Amino acid sequence: MDLKLPHLGEGADSGTVVNLFVKQGDTIAKDQAILELENEKAVATIPATAPGTITQIFVKAGDKIKVGQRILSLGDASPVGAPQVAQPEPAARRNREKLIQTPSPEQVPDALEQELPEPGAEGKPGMAPAAAPSIRKLARELGIDLTRMRGSASGGRIVLEDLRAYIQKLQRLAAAPRAASAAGAPVPKPAPERIDFAQWGPISKKPISPLREVIARRMAESWTTTPRVTQFDEADISALMALRKKYAAAYESKGARLTLTSFALKVVADALKKHPIFNASLDEVAHEIVFKEYYHLGIAVDTDAGLIVPVIRDVDKKDLVELSRELEDLVGKARQRKVSVEEMKGGSFTISNQGGIGGGHFTPIVNKPQVAILGLGRGVMKAVVRGTQIEPRLMLPIAISYDHRVIDGAAAARFTVDLVQAFENFKEDDVKI
Amino acid sequence: MEPIKTDLVVLGAGPGGYAAAFYAADLGQKVILVEREKRLGGVCLNRGCIPSKALLHAAQTITSARESEHRGIVFGPPTVDVGKLRTWKESILNRLAGGLEQLAKMRGVQVMQGRGYFEDSHTLRVETDQGQQFVKYDHAIIAIGSKAAMPRDFDLGNPRVMTSTEALEIEDIPENLLVIGGGYIGMELGTVYATLGSKVVLIEALDSILAGADPDLARPIVAYAKKAFSEVRLKTRVGKMATSGKQIKVESETDGQKKEELYDRVLVAVGRAPNADDLGLENTKVSFDDKGFIHVDEKQQTTDPAIYAIGDIAGGVLLAHKATKEGRIAVEVIAGEQSAFVDVIVPAVVFTDPEVAWCGLTEAEAKAKGIAVLVSKFPWAASGRALTFDRPEGMTKLIIEPDTERILGVGIVGQGAGELIGEGVLAVEMGATAKDLALTVHPHPTLSETLMEAAEAFYGHATHTFARKKAE
Repeated sequence: MDLKLPHLGEGADSGTVVNLFVKQGDTIAKDQAILELENEKAVATIPATAPGTITQIFVKAGDKIKVGQRILSLGDASPVGAPQVAQPEPAARRNREKLIQTPSPEQVPDALEQELPEPGAEGKPGMAPAAAPSIRKLARELGIDLTRMRGSASGGRIVLEDLRAYIQKLQRLAAAPRAASAAGAPVPKPAPERIDFAQWGPISKKPISPLREVIARRMAESWTTTPRVTQFDEADISALMALRKKYAAAYESKGARLTLTSFALKVVADALKKHPIFNASLDEVAHEIVFKEYYHLGIAVDTDAGLIVPVIRDVDKKDLVELSRELEDLVGKARQRKVSVEEMKGGSFTISNQGGIGGGHFTPIVNKPQVAILGLGRGVMKAVVRGTQIEPRLMLPIAISYDHRVIDGAAAARFTVDLVQAFENFKEDDVKI
Repeated sequence: MEPIKTDLVVLGAGPGGYAAAFYAADLGQKVILVEREKRLGGVCLNRGCIPSKALLHAAQTITSARESEHRGIVFGPPTVDVGKLRTWKESILNRLAGGLEQLAKMRGVQVMQGRGYFEDSHTLRVETDQGQQFVKYDHAIIAIGSKAAMPRDFDLGNPRVMTSTEALEIEDIPENLLVIGGGYIGMELGTVYATLGSKVVLIEALDSILAGADPDLARPIVAYAKKAFSEVRLKTRVGKMATSGKQIKVESETDGQKKEELYDRVLVAVGRAPNADDLGLENTKVSFDDKGFIHVDEKQQTTDPAIYAIGDIAGGVLLAHKATKEGRIAVEVIAGEQSAFVDVIVPAVVFTDPEVAWCGLTEAEAKAKGIAVLVSKFPWAASGRALTFDRPEGMTKLIIEPDTERILGVGIVGQGAGELIGEGVLAVEMGATAKDLALTVHPHPTLSETLMEAAEAFYGHATHTFARKKAE
């Protein structure tokens, strides 16, 4: 039997093999870890779904694999393996190959695969292809599998023109497999230019990690698809930090570390309730704005491998102790790369606090499909004019990036004002324990 | 004697066999058609479809006369001359069988009357009146059909215990008739006898009659049976039967309750059995399933490469039109064409009062197979045509694939349903959508409009009903 990559969770359908724990000939138990898979910013171990002796392994470290893809073959645990049952070729494939005779037959099926409908386009099981009896008879005579085609008439019915077009396509593909494979591929990006940096001095190289690939892809996607504006401001957090100092010990005794990010969670959740558009998403398919009635906040965490954004759920329903505890826990897990895929999903807004490292305002990139992100810099003492006095105050740089397709500038300004006020007037009652 | 050489021999001249023989001859083959009976046409023509429909039609006149009273047209009670009825029925059969003989002759199909016996995979011995004939053939098509099943316990050797074969001969009109089996044969013949004046009791082992039809389609038939028969007894098993003077003593059991009754005649309609015994098929490579039907593949080919089987003997649904289609497929395969019995829609019609007909996917089947479908119904009470002949109990329904709105099945109950289902079969075979059916103009006032209106009802705008938007 074959072991295949099981379903990994909502929306996660592929990953990169980081580590293989088994080799051919190994006898494995059910649920034994067989490989480590990196996926959407998490690493998960994949357990065996059945016991047996590994007769063949189809993946290696670095391979991108999809849900349902064959990982390895298991033989019987007994020395005599079960006789290999010859897999009958699918009729469609047989028919196609019969029809196409070219000098390079191996290339043809690949080329065809790209033009032929996805498996999803095929008819439902147990249902005849929608076509008149005369067309079905003709297809049978020609050895064409109608379930591989989609018809153009009402209800997807296959008519003679569809059959003719399909056969012509097969013929074209058969005649020029190479050209077809190039034409069938998505519009190619211009090939990146390779530069020999060594010509100007010594260099060293490191392969891009799968996580870095994910980050790069998502950043590029957000950058190219989201018209982004960043709104800057500063919040006076002198009072807030005084509160923090006052209660830090009490929180410590409850196993919670009170940080600026804990306060930010609370402040942001309240502001989102007042400004629901910042907690929304754009459904480009349905042409709708989706307002979320939950407040799941993503926290950008800097790890050795790169940026990871775990999500704290229902922030509005939790008190500061809970939030502080959960935050620390999640950051720790993220740094050890033990956050599950599920724990990174469903965020409705993201906070990126660089204050611990330093720096002022920056322009965070919106974490799609969210529409806004809050970037916090390091709070520094500044000379602030209050009334007619210049006072030393602890000022926190605030940057709010938002998707300008969904949010207008005025709305962002209002959101920012509320946020600043919330930081400046944080109620002691909300901290007290 | 020198064996006769031929391209094709067809064994059995029923609707499968003669259609195959004629088609093969049309395609240029030398064909011999072997039939053990004097009259061509098989069960369908001689003891099935045709005589039963003739009798049902004759009986219908009585019903019509009765139903016309409230319209102010009153007839006296009918007198039935059974002999004359039988002669009329026979005249139809003779005319049709004669036609078949003519058609065979014009095509050059040699009809050989006698029993066929396979000597080997390429030789058929035929025992004719003039002695044995040996036929050497390239291909054979077995189309020997089925016979009415008669369980051994019921087989008293008493002509008062009948199968459909005897019942269609109408020796007399018994005062009390027991029909065992609520399938289409029991229902059709029960209807004939009840109309001609018998008190009919129907016994069925299952908990419903016409078990193959969707329950909503069967409902008007159930209502009819309850009214026209003196009793419909479900979930009942007949134990023993015995001759008791001029009557039959029947023991039956319903929910543990035993009953003993006397009937003038009993009709056993519990199914049909294959005819394959004593054919010498053991001398070929033909194989059978455990019920005695011949194994065939989708090309109608048996496990013997020279021999094909079609119709009832090949199992599946035992219907004349299925046999005909299989016959044509077998002939095409023999002629070297790519042909196969795949995705063929075989309609079913029950000629009860009212008729029931369906094709393609049924609602029950969709449910059993987990196929998501939408169902759109049009009640005949909203059909002007149905009201003109006082039969508003009919219904037309479409089984629709939700994504493509393709029609996967059609079910009709009501007078003339058997004539109407043809359009349904065409729609399903063509992969028509509900929209196609709704956009096609149907003549008014006819029952065919009910198909169009059922499709319109799917979109929530049938003229003669008011429906919610799209069927749920």
